Amino acid sequence: MRHTPLYEEHQSQGGKVVNFHGWALPLQFSGIIAEHHHTRTSASLFDCSHMGEFLLKGPKAIRALEGMVFNDMICLGVGRCRYTSLLDVCGGIIDDVIAMKLAEDELLVVTNAVPYNKVSRVMRRVCQAEDLTAATAKIDVQGPKSREVLLRLGLTDIEPLRYFSVCRTKWRGVDIIASRAGYTGELGYELYVPNDSAVPVWRELAACPEVAPAGLGARDTLRLEMGYTLYGQDVDESHTTLEAGMARFINWESDFHAREYLLMQREMGRYKVRTGIRSFDRRAPRHEHLVYHEGRVVGAVTSGTFGPSVGHGIGMAYVPVELSQSGNRFTVGPKDLPVETVSFPFYKHGSVRD
Amino acid sequence: MYPSNLRYSKTHEWIRAEEGQWAVGITAYAAEHLGEVTYLELPEPGTEVKAGDEVGAIESVKAASEIYSPAGGTVAEVNEALTDNLERIGASPHDEAWFFKLTGVDEDELAGLMDAAAYEKYLAELDE
Repeated sequence: MRHTPLYEEHQSQGGKVVNFHGWALPLQFSGIIAEHHHTRTSASLFDCSHMGEFLLKGPKAIRALEGMVFNDMICLGVGRCRYTSLLDVCGGIIDDVIAMKLAEDELLVVTNAVPYNKVSRVMRRVCQAEDLTAATAKIDVQGPKSREVLLRLGLTDIEPLRYFSVCRTKWRGVDIIASRAGYTGELGYELYVPNDSAVPVWRELAACPEVAPAGLGARDTLRLEMGYTLYGQDVDESHTTLEAGMARFINWESDFHAREYLLMQREMGRYKVRTGIRSFDRRAPRHEHLVYHEGRVVGAVTSGTFGPSVGHGIGMAYVPVELSQSGNRFTVGPKDLPVETVSFPFYKHGSVRD
Repeated sequence: MYPSNLRYSKTHEWIRAEEGQWAVGITAYAAEHLGEVTYLELPEPGTEVKAGDEVGAIESVKAASEIYSPAGGTVAEVNEALTDNLERIGASPHDEAWFFKLTGVDEDELAGLMDAAAYEKYLAELDE
């Protein structure tokens, strides 16, 4: 298993380390539900150093990327972040990523660990990108108290950041890229730091009384309550970005290589779309449960769990577009658990835009 | 770590003699693997069960699993207090967190279950 620069920290803090797609990462520290609630009410630290970072320099590279994603990269304002997806020509999702405009001719693309091998080839071949993954640690500070914690520690450049903004800063001699983004639905920041500074930065943050470390388990329940996708489980190349429910992000005026296929799919209108489902008690839909409607199999669940902040089962399933509107009843799994389609997010009280 | 007065099933339930009845629960191994329990469904008192019958369900944030009865008998009593204190399943799986009690158990049937040493050996093989 590959170790992040924070591996020993997790061990010493009692993290239960598991194999996450070849990376040794903490599943939990104090407990998934406790860490979930701590993130919603205070601030948590997540080690996301397994994720990929690629730096694109110059208009040619940025234009090349724009050719394979569904929205604008060239027009993206300096200091802004944008959610997008690397698509194959048929609209299948090679990866869903965050692009951050660091300067007029500099774009940092943050990618997932699961499809890294494919993505790194694409990024190097198509965009001549510089792969910063192996040299970069990523520490997410997430929760309503994250801003006050960072400001108190002297990271003052983050103060003016709006949601989905980014800045370069220097903190105690360390060059940091700080974005206001995350995967939890709470106010939060992502700090990109050189590997050799990861431990001191982590320790400084962890020493704050509001802050506790959190693992992959809480990260999953938090993101699921927000309806955020997990690459490799909810979205991948076998689903187009339309099927993945990303229609609202697509700029149809942009001349990207999957446009024709996706227009055709939109025109036909007959496909399965990623849809939110909820149960009516604490039982949860689960990954790979089949979805039944009037006695027929109509789809499958890709993610599901008990939502600690909403108090009932939640999940995502691919169901036919015509059945995807809110309020439709289905059953899922071998025990016919009743569920209803609902719009994302499941949890509506997050501090993400505060 | 596994008490010697319990007998264990391959599906990670335990059973123990208790004042003429037989208490049933899940093992520390099962509780650890599930993690924090979020849902527990237990059989109704009075239910007649056979060994291996699915008698309930247990879910955590990570996973969902069935509960099987390690022996045949009649469900005499259910641990109602547990439903509101699900964290006790992880905290005290072999004592406080019994799920239900059976009467009319045929003790000969329990010969098919494992003792603590055999169960620990079974777990070691599972984790290999």
